[in-house]
Amino acid sequence: MKLKNNKLIKISMWVVVVLAVIAGLYLYAGKEPFIRTTLSGLTLGSLFFMVAAGLTLIFGLMDVLNFAHGAMFMLGSYMGWQLYTNPTFIFGLLPTILAFTTGIMMAPVIKPFLIRWDIKENIANILPKLAYFFAVVLLVLGFIGLDILDLADTAMVAATTTTVGNPLAEISPQEPLNVFWYRPVLLLLSGLLVAFASSKPGDKTEFAPQEKIMEKLAVPLGLLVFTIIATFIRESAPEAILLMNGNWRFVISMIVAVAFGFLFGAVIEITLIRPLYERAFFIVLMTLGLSFVIREMVQLLWDPLAYQMVRPPLFAQSGKAANLMEWLNNGNATIDISGVTFPTYRLFVIVLGFAMFIFITVLMTKTRLGMIIRAGVQDPQMVEALGINVKRVFTFVFALGVAMAALGGIGAGPFLPIQPEMGDQYQMQGFITVVIGGMGSYVGAFIGAIILGMGRAFGDYFALKLSLSPAIAEASTVIIMIIVLLIRPQGLFGKKE
Amino acid sequence: MIKEKPQEDILVVENIHTYIGQFHILEGVSVTVPKGSITVLLGRNGAGKTTTLKSILGLTPPREGKVIFDGMEIQGKRAFNVASLGIGYVPEHRAIFRSLSVMENLKLAERKKGDFNRHADFIFTLFPDLKRLYKLPGNHLSGGQQQMLAVARALVPDNKLLLIDEPSEGLAPILIQQMMDAIRSLSEKTTILLVEQNFIMASQLAQRFTIIDDGQSVHEGLMENLVNDEEMIHQYLGASIKTRKELEMEHEAKK
Repeated sequence: MKLKNNKLIKISMWVVVVLAVIAGLYLYAGKEPFIRTTLSGLTLGSLFFMVAAGLTLIFGLMDVLNFAHGAMFMLGSYMGWQLYTNPTFIFGLLPTILAFTTGIMMAPVIKPFLIRWDIKENIANILPKLAYFFAVVLLVLGFIGLDILDLADTAMVAATTTTVGNPLAEISPQEPLNVFWYRPVLLLLSGLLVAFASSKPGDKTEFAPQEKIMEKLAVPLGLLVFTIIATFIRESAPEAILLMNGNWRFVISMIVAVAFGFLFGAVIEITLIRPLYERAFFIVLMTLGLSFVIREMVQLLWDPLAYQMVRPPLFAQSGKAANLMEWLNNGNATIDISGVTFPTYRLFVIVLGFAMFIFITVLMTKTRLGMIIRAGVQDPQMVEALGINVKRVFTFVFALGVAMAALGGIGAGPFLPIQPEMGDQYQMQGFITVVIGGMGSYVGAFIGAIILGMGRAFGDYFALKLSLSPAIAEASTVIIMIIVLLIRPQGLFGKKE
Repeated sequence: MIKEKPQEDILVVENIHTYIGQFHILEGVSVTVPKGSITVLLGRNGAGKTTTLKSILGLTPPREGKVIFDGMEIQGKRAFNVASLGIGYVPEHRAIFRSLSVMENLKLAERKKGDFNRHADFIFTLFPDLKRLYKLPGNHLSGGQQQMLAVARALVPDNKLLLIDEPSEGLAPILIQQMMDAIRSLSEKTTILLVEQNFIMASQLAQRFTIIDDGQSVHEGLMENLVNDEEMIHQYLGASIKTRKELEMEHEAKK
């Protein structure tokens, strides 16, 4: 009982301190500056949270520090922006990627038969290597002559011309179907070879039950259908999307960013991180290297320039909306919030951040998957011993974390310059957020992100008002971290080791 | 006297060798568990009893040897695959999920939807306390309650074999009695492979034993033969363990 009382006193003490700080700021700054600065702080906090949420989930479950998280945030931004301005890049490559994935996804279907295949040991050893070799050959053949740079290239126009009047101005020319068709076919074969090699034909020590083959076939068959559809809509879909209402286009670009982030995260976890779980330090080096690779690839595709993404129409019209209804009707760029003029797009970012927090909370507390994740944070071995495939959960959580970063990236797209370095600052802030909130706690990441965002915003405010150096705002992050770590070394919501 | 009739072995461990890092922990362990029995692994601390359980399950996969469960070779399979075949594991040190509630701990162990609902009555008859604590987080439970939850968790799915590691460790005497009763009534439904330091408990529960010494299985047989073999008990289980005769003598001396 005594312990509970102590906890209660501690919590109420914190509440009093927080309320006192808020009241003090309110009284000092006055109503309007206070509201304006708070909203700015929440906007920044939302962005920090979108990066930190993935970092903290991934660290909590797998002890992996993902130093490529900022690069993945940036990639999400680029992908969403590409779909928004020039979808040819995405639609032109989609059939090949889907075809390759279809091939790989055949692995669970063919594995039960392949491992029971009676072949000599030396053949069983060499077959996978041969298959991998030919898979790479087919992969290269499938892409040879496809001008990927050209597909991405026309988006450069976005920086210089306006698309008003002719929304199709930026669309890139694509190969006609009678030239293109062999690429997805080759990639499907390449994927099948990878599936063949990874199933380890003739390896009796492998385990795969020969049951529910029909159920397992559903995934690759579905993907095959998607591949065929993607091949046929390759040329018409980009036009259809560009002629769409800009708001819907933005919704689609968010979905594309999330889907891309999820798949990219899953691929990275399976191919690069999974072999390194035993050597945690190598993962740090690997992800750091990966971030450089991603950045260079982006520079190759889109040149090291900064792009400005056009805001969707809902946030673009000039003039100030008096209330929410008026904004939703007219799509004003700014809105009046009790006397303060605030950009509507930033309001949207705040909503996005809070929505993501609610999503994670529901996922973690109300679903079986959340239960597995929380249990896995404490003891992954025991979760496995219950009959749960922990490796698959790891992949899912990593993919989810990257998807959230990618959503943050496209969310930030319309108000940050889109450039290869845009994620770096957010990654740093994300790490500090995670440290303040407590490693592994998503609630901590949320609170930490808001504190850091507020620190930034009020730092700027005081710098302006008291004519201090603007560096005080940037320093606020580190100052907050030092104070928090001095009082609670494990972070606000962290557990003592 | 139990007659040894020919019966099916649900688990056969054949000469397994397990390494942890570069340490050769198990250097040839063989265990046979007949269907429907309670078999106990005995041995000193650090002899390799827990590692044997983990090797069966695939948490520390053996490098050599065979593990045959229900007629199927399972060595080298991932632990989640092995568990899904119908092996429940109750680890030592009450490794329940402390951040999850009692309900969540139990639901997490489901392999098919509805597993828990089907067995809820049985579980709550064995451990009535858990019904009362149903909504509490695991870290609010006492040591004994946590141990009961750890056992209950293994009862949620239909398991053909339970691996139970030191269920009496650190429990108060009255709880040990309750745990013994629970394990005894479990053995009517399923087969149990037990690791137990408390020789009294082990000898009263188990029909068969296997002694592991220094990473090797050295003896196996019927429990009733071991109980009377003071020499073997002292040789392998250490002086700290008292035989039934000694205990009876003590008991009489107190009178």
